[in-house]
Amino acid sequence: MANDYDIDATELLETYDFLMKYIIIGEAGTGKSCLLHQFTHNSFKEHSQHTIGVEFSSRTVKLGEKRIKLQLWDTAGQERFRSVTRSYYRGAAGAILVYDITSRASFLNLSRWLADARALGSPHLVTVLVGNKSDREEDREVEWAEASRWAAENDVHFLEASSLSGENVEAPFLLCARSILLAIESGALDPEKAGSGVSYGDRALRRVHSSSRLSFGSLSGGRRKGTVKLRLPLAGKTRCC
Amino acid sequence: MLTSPTSPPPKYQTSSPRPHNPLSIRLYKVLAANLDDDTTKEALHTLADLYAPSLLNDTKVKPQDRELKGDRERLNDIDDEDDDTKEDANTKLPAQSPALAETVPGEIAARARRNLKKDVESKLAESSRRFLTAFAEVDKQLDTLQEYIGAMRLRCDDAQSQLGETNEACKALLDRAGSLREQRQEISTRQSMVMVFLSRFTLTPEDVEAITSREVPVGKRFFNAMNKAERIRNDCRVLMAGEEGPTKAGLDIMSTTSGYLEEAYEKIFRWCSFAFREMGRDAQIDVSPAMREAVRRLRQRPELLTEALGTLSQTRQATLLNNFTTALTRGGPGGLPRPIELHAHDPLRYVGDMLAWVHQAIAAEREFLEGLFGARAEEGGRMVGAVRAYGGTEEEDWMSELMDTAVGGLCTPLMIRVQQTIRSQESSITAYKIANLLQFYMLTMQRTLGEEAALSKRLREMTDYAYKAFSDAVEAQGRSILGIHLDLDDLTLTPPFAILDHTQILREILTVYESSLGDESSLRGKSAKDVNEAAAQGCRAILDQMVDPAVEMCVLASEEKHRLRPSWDREIFIINVLTYLQSVLEPYSFTAEKRDVIQDLVAGRVVQLIEDHFTGLLVDTGLGEMVDAGKARQGDEPLSHLPAASSSRLQAALHKFSVWLTSNTVDYPPRLGQLSVQSLASRVHRAALARLVRTYKWLCEEVRNPENKYEAAATVLGSERPFGQVHLLWQIFGIDEEETGDDIVTDKTT
Ligand SMILES: Nc1nc2c(ncn2[C@@H]2O[C@H](COP(=O)(O)OP(=O)(O)OP(=O)(O)O)[C@@H](O)[C@H]2O)c(=O)[nH]1
Ligand SMILES: [Mg+2]
Repeated sequence: MANDYDIDATELLETYDFLMKYIIIGEAGTGKSCLLHQFTHNSFKEHSQHTIGVEFSSRTVKLGEKRIKLQLWDTAGQERFRSVTRSYYRGAAGAILVYDITSRASFLNLSRWLADARALGSPHLVTVLVGNKSDREEDREVEWAEASRWAAENDVHFLEASSLSGENVEAPFLLCARSILLAIESGALDPEKAGSGVSYGDRALRRVHSSSRLSFGSLSGGRRKGTVKLRLPLAGKTRCC
Repeated sequence: MLTSPTSPPPKYQTSSPRPHNPLSIRLYKVLAANLDDDTTKEALHTLADLYAPSLLNDTKVKPQDRELKGDRERLNDIDDEDDDTKEDANTKLPAQSPALAETVPGEIAARARRNLKKDVESKLAESSRRFLTAFAEVDKQLDTLQEYIGAMRLRCDDAQSQLGETNEACKALLDRAGSLREQRQEISTRQSMVMVFLSRFTLTPEDVEAITSREVPVGKRFFNAMNKAERIRNDCRVLMAGEEGPTKAGLDIMSTTSGYLEEAYEKIFRWCSFAFREMGRDAQIDVSPAMREAVRRLRQRPELLTEALGTLSQTRQATLLNNFTTALTRGGPGGLPRPIELHAHDPLRYVGDMLAWVHQAIAAEREFLEGLFGARAEEGGRMVGAVRAYGGTEEEDWMSELMDTAVGGLCTPLMIRVQQTIRSQESSITAYKIANLLQFYMLTMQRTLGEEAALSKRLREMTDYAYKAFSDAVEAQGRSILGIHLDLDDLTLTPPFAILDHTQILREILTVYESSLGDESSLRGKSAKDVNEAAAQGCRAILDQMVDPAVEMCVLASEEKHRLRPSWDREIFIINVLTYLQSVLEPYSFTAEKRDVIQDLVAGRVVQLIEDHFTGLLVDTGLGEMVDAGKARQGDEPLSHLPAASSSRLQAALHKFSVWLTSNTVDYPPRLGQLSVQSLASRVHRAALARLVRTYKWLCEEVRNPENKYEAAATVLGSERPFGQVHLLWQIFGIDEEETGDDIVTDKTT
């Protein structure tokens, strides 16, 4: 009766190496909540209403050998919530900046969003620009090339996705996590310090205790794999544009 | 053998001349016999030997044959003694193998033929003698043997009897051995049963060690040992529930295992308590599966769990408080992110950052607790803002309580800072914004923590406090506007500076209210009418506090000013202020109610103004005197007989009216020009003009009426514009006759 207890099985489910705080930002109606819902539930959020304030959710992802728990703060895009949502930028490790490829207006304000995020987030904030609603090609108002240029100029990652079809929805989150891990590996970012938006999980801690230094050897190995995985959708996008 | 095809008997037959003679038959037979077989050959050799050596040595036997053949040739001799034919064969043989020593050929054969019988007999006798001596010896030996055998027989009999005895004795032994074997079989079966029983009903030393030793950590091995103890107890209970009732062994097992289990729970408790105390430094904590399992098991011992969780909640409370203080005063490492208090000068950001920090801490805490209680059923599924059912499961109760305590520690520092911030606000707008923000978080926390949570309650207090501060500020604002005196030297009729200032505040409040963060989610799905009603309800008090004093001040202060400066047009001023207030409220749909109230006030003032304006027009146009006269007339006295309405006065009045009609005040009455709202001015003016037309019409009718005894009435009327033609007057004023003065004035009043 109690034989079903198995630490190893549960361990896989629950523990993580790193915990990262992400904010999802961008104009109202660009599909932030839908994107997040697709990421956490693998389904499209029908009848999505404007987010009021902020909403929290979390998901654990696997990147190479590492298990990373993402704390996701979905913010309201409406102007009147700006003062509230900005308070949640504090110490974020990652920002998913969303615009709507069918709305030029949602693209034009990106600089302001980015500036806010950089001013208030972690000093090593990694930002991924997501052009959402890529399923509505016929209504496109922002060209891929233009957004890509903007991203390059502003030193953020970029890809297009569709919360409706689910295409490329995981990629921005993984891309962001990968950049953060690399920053940790290079020593630029220290998860031990509060406010970095990243902290160690039980899994990594146990390893820290057992060996004097945390080694990222496995990460470097897994990186190539991750890169390939992440690049694929990107490459696909480039081709079709 | 004789008829064998290899033998050639026919050769002999043909060479025999007397085949019927018995001797010859015999001879033939002998001759026909094949002497080539081994037996015959050997017999012949023996015979040959018997004789040959004597020639050479002493008598008959050849020396070489004697050497070669011994007793054997004697035996052969005996065999061949009665066979005559052998002699012939014997004779032949030496011929075949040349008898080298024969001095005289055939001599030996002849001698043999003669002495054969005697030789053989003597030989036989000698042999017999030798036999006898030999056998005598044998006989002697046999006698000895016989003795031996006899002795042996005795011994054997003895042994036999002993054996019999022994056999008899062994049988009992064997029986016992057999039964022992059976017993042993039985016992080993029982032993294996006992082993099975023991392994089922006792803990191995390893298990006991896992449970009791400090060396074995709380983990898989430990839990497995616990599981086993539990299982033993369950099995044992089942056994004891049987017919025999509790056995001693059963009771022993129960008491031993219960002892171990208690130790196990104690161990979990100690381990948890220790871990919980350690679990403080990090804001984010990951729960190990062993920890989760430990907590799950400790639920069997609520008093231990309560105590351990008590430790945990204290640690968490202290940790959260510590982290909060750090975030407030020190910020992140190296000052990034910046300390929250750095922005204390920006009250909204300050309060907002604090509340957001708390909210995030709650989310993390919630995740931690869900991990601890294994309640994270749907990872990522639930949103923090989402409504949760409370008090459902035992875990939920625990989590709520732990959360409440942990977060409860933040209440005081939060409250102190929030209240300080609110108190230091001079601007009612900021106070209002803070109140709004607090209310937003209050609703969020109520949904997340439940309404009864300490933080929810304190947030309600803070929200109330902020609203009270705001309301106080508004009230003070209202009082201050009431106390305003109008500048006597300012003769303008537009809203005074104090009002502009006041309405600016009102406008900002309304803007904030309109975009307020309030409890929108509770309005989701409601009809637009309900939503509007809720919105109107929410700001009714604010409007009362802000608008009513403004109106009152405008009425009272203007009265005072009017007393001191009678020339100052109070009516126009009041209408201007009222319409201005209306214009301020206009953009906000939820102010409709208040706008209606002001509209009523305006309408009343407008009616008065029309009256005033009309009276003024009567004076300006000269028609007033005629009207007064008409009013003063008594009975059916002719109008022309009244001094004030005499023909000449009538003439003068008509003239004055005619002149007035050509002046530009007809189109732009100067007084009404001071009304801020132009449409209102023209409305008032037209209403007054309409009444003026009716007054002229009345005058024309009176003049034309013979009873009033005006001479040449038509001429008099026709001498001055509009020549007694009322419809012409309508045209001049550009007013449709159908319009009534009252209709023009009152859009909403009637
Ligand atoms: N066709 C299409 N529609 C989408 C997609 N993502 C979102 N939408 C629609 O866009 C609308 C807005 O989506 P939300 O996710 O609520 O937008 P949001 O960014 O969260 O808005 P705020 O919470 O107000 O900031 C909804 O009607 C969605 O159905 C997409 O990938 N494709
Ligand atoms: Mg949203």
